[in-house]
Amino acid sequence: MQKTPVVSVSGLHKTYGRKNEQQYEALKGIDFTIDEGEFVGIMGASGSGKTTLLNLLSTLDTPTSGSVEVNGQDITGFKGKALSDFRSEEIGFIFQDFNLLESLTAKENIALPLSLQGVKKAEISKAVKEVATTLSIENLLSKYPTELSGGQKQRVAAARAIVHRPAIIMGDEPTGALDSKSARDLLDLMTDINKNQHVSVLLVTHDPFSASFCDRILFIQDGQIGQELKKADNNRQTFYQEILNQLGTFEQ
Amino acid sequence: MLTKLSLAGIKNRFKDYLVLLTGLIISAAVFYMFANLATNREFVKSNTQISMASQVFIFGMILLILITIVYIAYANSFLLSMRQHDYGLFMMLGAKKNRIGELVFIETLLIGVISTIVGIVLGIGMSMGLSQILFNQLGLTVHHFNALYWPAIVTTICLYVGLFLLSGIFNLTKLVRTPVLKLLHIDDEVYLPKRRPLVQLTEIVAGILLLAIGYVAMAKIMTLQLLAVPLALVTITLGSYLLFSAVIVGAVELLKQTNFANKKLHNFTLAQIMFRVRSYTRILTIVSLLFALALGAISVGAGFQRQAPQMAKSTSAYTMAINDMDKKEHNLVSQLNDTHTLTYSQKIVGNTVYYNEQEFVDHPLPMLDSRQALNDGSLKTLPIAQFKKVALNDMDFTGLVPKNGQQKSEFATQSDFENLNTATTHTVTIIRLNNVLAQRKILDRLEKLQQQRFPAPTMATVGGFQTYKMFNALFSGLEFMGFFLGFAFLAMLASCLMFKILSGANKDVVRYNMLNRIGTRRVLMKQAVRGEILTLFALPGILGIVDVLFGLQVFKPLMYHPNAMTGWSILIFCVLYGVYYGITTLIYERLVIPKEQMNA
Ligand SMILES: Nc1ncnc2c1ncn2[C@@H]1O[C@H](COP(=O)(O)OP(=O)(O)OP(=O)(O)O)[C@@H](O)[C@H]1O
Ligand SMILES: [Mg+2]
Repeated sequence: MQKTPVVSVSGLHKTYGRKNEQQYEALKGIDFTIDEGEFVGIMGASGSGKTTLLNLLSTLDTPTSGSVEVNGQDITGFKGKALSDFRSEEIGFIFQDFNLLESLTAKENIALPLSLQGVKKAEISKAVKEVATTLSIENLLSKYPTELSGGQKQRVAAARAIVHRPAIIMGDEPTGALDSKSARDLLDLMTDINKNQHVSVLLVTHDPFSASFCDRILFIQDGQIGQELKKADNNRQTFYQEILNQLGTFEQ
Repeated sequence: MLTKLSLAGIKNRFKDYLVLLTGLIISAAVFYMFANLATNREFVKSNTQISMASQVFIFGMILLILITIVYIAYANSFLLSMRQHDYGLFMMLGAKKNRIGELVFIETLLIGVISTIVGIVLGIGMSMGLSQILFNQLGLTVHHFNALYWPAIVTTICLYVGLFLLSGIFNLTKLVRTPVLKLLHIDDEVYLPKRRPLVQLTEIVAGILLLAIGYVAMAKIMTLQLLAVPLALVTITLGSYLLFSAVIVGAVELLKQTNFANKKLHNFTLAQIMFRVRSYTRILTIVSLLFALALGAISVGAGFQRQAPQMAKSTSAYTMAINDMDKKEHNLVSQLNDTHTLTYSQKIVGNTVYYNEQEFVDHPLPMLDSRQALNDGSLKTLPIAQFKKVALNDMDFTGLVPKNGQQKSEFATQSDFENLNTATTHTVTIIRLNNVLAQRKILDRLEKLQQQRFPAPTMATVGGFQTYKMFNALFSGLEFMGFFLGFAFLAMLASCLMFKILSGANKDVVRYNMLNRIGTRRVLMKQAVRGEILTLFALPGILGIVDVLFGLQVFKPLMYHPNAMTGWSILIFCVLYGVYYGITTLIYERLVIPKEQMNA
């Protein structure tokens, strides 16, 4: 079966700094695609351009040149309303921290993307209940973020990221602030969402364990994609080992 | 090195500092303006023949000092909220606590001194401007007023520099005592609203009850006498506080149940308000009271002043009497609009002035319905027999004689009058007009002409105009002070509220940043900011207006229509308050709403 790409990136360049200031080229021509329902990881050393890439894919920043297409639409020219509507409809975010609004309950946090789209109250309630059941956080819905543990917060954040059925979920080191147990739970959850709800996932991480949950891993080196690893039919353990080996070759 | 780092921090947040400085400068300017009046004994004495005036000023001064303290406390917390993270970081990097303390102290004091000096200069300018406006536009006459007044400058400097010394010491101890980690995470503390319907209900009932007691106390000032004011102050303060905390929480909870909450960012705005209720109730209470005081001061001042024309009507049956009107005067009189004129003949024999009775039959001279205080100025005409009896004891009639000595008045029948053998027949012309205020310039010239021709030992002319001028002079001072007090309070309270709101901006930066990331349109974020701040401005404003409407009942024994000028003052107030609201939202939006894209 031929899969259609959800994200397709070509010739992406990003140079920081104004013309007359000191300039730094963080991305030097990136090309790749993410298919529908794929779980893709992006790895690379610190400063290699992972966050930069994610910011461009999610329209938080604009590329110097090149194009990013999401669901066949070029998103690099988006401005104003089109921009925010794209974010709220097509993308689900999970960040490392400041994920939730601490003045809203878990339920209200999850409902936020739907409220922004003007969905009716009854439908919102239904959708929130549904994701909450999937992620087994029904009993946390009426709590405020300060009453939740780090892992629980990320679950709520994940619920908010998928409640509006985005084209793709993006995470920038979402497990970065979690202990290993919670991190594992969140990764299992994301895999679950990816497999059962067929939502594509793009995960930025520098942790090999997190990366082993992906179907495919792109390694960024000095602003370019250097290597690509596919899980194929390997189990997670072998894939983890493969990733470690790959990282080892970088260090030499 | 540390000084350099600290200066770099200031440079980074230059706009925030500009906000802080501007606010403090305005506050110092307003305080100076007020101190200028309050410390000027000559001014207070010469402009208010009322012994209470100086007490009113001392009371006002104490209030203003209290507001200033609250104000500077808020401004200082704004400063601290901007800086504590930086300083926490410096300490974590190994800077000595004492050195940090020193820096903070100097920074605080420097900001204080700069804003005080600039504020005083601005205050002098504003005093000049405002007094010019009041003198020219309202026809007020005020003596002994100087825009530049040294005792006021000294008072302002003492208070402000003193307060900033205290703030500096406070900041120093706070930074030195607080553990570094806490300084770095100070913004993370949150307050979770608890749902307690029973407590809320009790609060609402108690709040309304207390407000009612306060309002009744003010309405019954005649029976309660001096007790009314402190009683009202305490009950209204407590009542407002309880009502605010209960009503806001209750209303937000109700709204959250509705469909409204699920639309756009409404839920977010409601949550923001809910979260801030506790820290806001106190300031909202203070603001509503100050709002009432300020509005009250202006309404009362303006009300008394506007009362002068009414008093002119109620103290005399006519506006002015003109003896032996000549051509010049006739010209002036014909320029007056909406007038009634009556002319009577007079013959003077020895020390007695005779009037032709028949003229009063043909054109009766109206008399005041009642001579009681606060009468409405309505007139009556009496049958001639009764008129003759009453008139000889009535000031309005006896005052019609030419003003060159003590004279007696007598009535004569038409034939007797015609038979009186005198060289000349005099006349007296009575003019009555409805709008004294609008035509006061012509009346003034008429009065001057009369004074030149008939120099009087005591009063210039008889009639309402003369009363008007007397009361106008008396009330001008009151109105001037009312406006000054009112605007001083308004400027201070609105700035207080502004700072309280702005000092919360730091926490909101993170929230709005997050909203931007998940794709919230900028319009929605702006609406959220406006909605939240509007609530915080509107609530105390509304309660303040209600307070004033009831509070003005205090003046019922002294004024015709205590609420007459309230509509106008409310309008002026809302405009000024609205300007503050606009500025606050603009600054807030700039502080918290992120750009849609980086480097955009
Ligand atoms: N706003 C910016 N202005 C200038 N240079 C920047 C900016 N943001 C990032 N950079 C530079 O671009 C390069 C890539 O940064 P990026 O944040 O994408 O790295 P990363 O791969 O996410 O690293 P990490 O794993 O540490 O998060 C770095 O060298 C960084 O210094
Ligand atoms: Mg990064």
